[in-house]
Amino acid sequence: MNVAPSTEFVLPARFGRAGLGGCYAPETLMTPLLELEAAFRAALADPVFQDELSRELRDFVGRPTPLMPAPRLAAAAGLRAVFLKREDLAHTGAHKINNALGQVLLARRMGKKEIIAETGAGQHGVATAAACARLGLDCTVYMGGADMARQAPNVARMKLLGAAVVAVPAGQGTLKEAVNEALRAWAGRCDRAHYVLGSALGPHPYPTIVRTFQQIIGEEARRQILETTGALPDVVVACAGGGSNGLGLMIPFLRDAVRLIAVEAGGHGRALGEHAARFDGGRLGVLHGCKTLVLQDTHGHTAATASVSAGLDYPALGPELAALMLDGKVTAWRATDEEALAAAQLLSRCEGVLPALECSHALAVLPRLAREGAPCVLLGLSGRGDKDLATFQQMGGAT
Amino acid sequence: MKPVLPFLMAGDPALEKLPGWLAEARGLGLDTIEVGLPHSDPIADGPVLQAAAQRAITAGATPRRVLECLARCPDSPDIVLFTYLNPLWQLGAGELIRLLRPTPVKSLLVVDLPFGEEPAWEEQLRAAGYPLVPLLTPTTSLARVAQLLNRSRQGGAGFAQNFVYLVARLGVTGQNGPMDLDSVQVRVAAVRGLTDRPLAVGFGLSAPAALDAVRAMGARPVVGSDVVERLAAGKTLRAALTAAGPPEPES
Ligand SMILES: Cc1ncc(COP(=O)(O)O)c(C=O)c1O
Repeated sequence: MNVAPSTEFVLPARFGRAGLGGCYAPETLMTPLLELEAAFRAALADPVFQDELSRELRDFVGRPTPLMPAPRLAAAAGLRAVFLKREDLAHTGAHKINNALGQVLLARRMGKKEIIAETGAGQHGVATAAACARLGLDCTVYMGGADMARQAPNVARMKLLGAAVVAVPAGQGTLKEAVNEALRAWAGRCDRAHYVLGSALGPHPYPTIVRTFQQIIGEEARRQILETTGALPDVVVACAGGGSNGLGLMIPFLRDAVRLIAVEAGGHGRALGEHAARFDGGRLGVLHGCKTLVLQDTHGHTAATASVSAGLDYPALGPELAALMLDGKVTAWRATDEEALAAAQLLSRCEGVLPALECSHALAVLPRLAREGAPCVLLGLSGRGDKDLATFQQMGGAT
Repeated sequence: MKPVLPFLMAGDPALEKLPGWLAEARGLGLDTIEVGLPHSDPIADGPVLQAAAQRAITAGATPRRVLECLARCPDSPDIVLFTYLNPLWQLGAGELIRLLRPTPVKSLLVVDLPFGEEPAWEEQLRAAGYPLVPLLTPTTSLARVAQLLNRSRQGGAGFAQNFVYLVARLGVTGQNGPMDLDSVQVRVAAVRGLTDRPLAVGFGLSAPAALDAVRAMGARPVVGSDVVERLAAGKTLRAALTAAGPPEPES
């Protein structure tokens, strides 16, 4: 039986005026969550941990990632300048590795032997599998059945990296079901396993941990754009699944006079079940341990979602991003499946960069930004599109 | 019959079954029963209760319909309503209390609501006579056990409003595999040292010997997944409970 370091949390667990977030976890997970918060605070304050994290981010992940001007894309969209923060060039092909590496280092420091993770698009699963291989921990990834089919290359990558991939057939077979199953698995093995949650969601302290490890995106990007242009951009834009790449990019710009926009999955329609736009389609509710904006029916049952992008179809927004939206600090837009596919094709042809379908939703709003008169845009290119080739081919985007 | 706290999933396979089961439970001499209100994302439940909740939701068991059905079940043991926060929270405390009033529900077991996370909501329900049941697990430190017992003041008369739920193992409901009864015994003794409230022990109990062992510790065993599976297969409650020790002949 574990002895809790404390019976209360120390870090703020709530966000914004509506008090989103919190820790709505089954009692079995409360002490592991209290221990995790204590370990996280101790690690952040420990120069040895910080040193190792910085070294691994440089040598293993390949940070800093470039900030790339995209002049042909800007011209095509009618903007003066677009800068892409190239998280697609981070090791394993997406921003997910920043958080996965940080948490696996933390788990090893806590003496955990085993890692559990969920994955939607498979990017977080691949990143966690890679970090576990690098640091010598066992890794089990839970993934919805439908996602395993549409992101098959990532399933193969996880297995090559030595992870066990467990199919979750329940429900729609997407990220929500994978999180359910990972939480259950953690409750059964919390004495020896750490659960590496992949986005800024879940019970406290996860939203804060994930966002902290992702903030390096925005810290680098802010420095890089000031070095390159001598000024801040007019707009910072990113896609929002749970919200980890968006928060990571935007938080360092929160105090600046910069417009912050998060783009959600508009799917193929505006009715409940046809999209994953939580800001104007959702209501406050509790899912997977936190209070936030949730797509749900009138009975409080989580609704089905739809998106061409496996990383954006989660039915809830991370609580901190939802709070920033409700408090008017971040604007929520949506882009449809069709717009995202077209935007991916445009970037590929204009700049020779094939983006993941997730961040293609951010690319899709560039023409709207041009119409609204935003000359200089910084965009979070959260991942590369190789995993989405089958979808591009099916949707006729690769002809 | 021997002391036992059975768990039923409302609406599985159909809500119309519920009044009959509750009446049967009363006929069997049970003073308290747990009724599950199905949720779409039951993160603390194993495959059996997940499937039962899904069947119930598909068959139309919304929170409102379940509570309205319970309002038509006067012939029932006291009910501990087992569920997750969101379906209750969406109703709003006022409407929830209005729906609970005519039912035999005496307390709430909200699996994903640690004490103090929704203080105003919890207090409104407690004041209306619906206390939250404290759930203690193998990971709950004794310092935290003391704190939880302290925060969850006793509700009133009867087992349903006073008992403390001890989770027997790590993980989710319905896990089988051998139970480490020695550590359950140690846990029961430790909690006994802190409170004289009645205890129930559950999660993964079904073998008659394990149920008897829990009874010998002075606690009431909870049988969930096993009963739900048998009821879904069309058995009567009495037959579903035979694994919990054959009911004594009715006098
Ligand atoms: C490339 C990529 N971008 C974005 C996301 C969305 O997640 P988040 O909003 O947490 O950044 C994912 C999630 O799988 C992803 O793989």
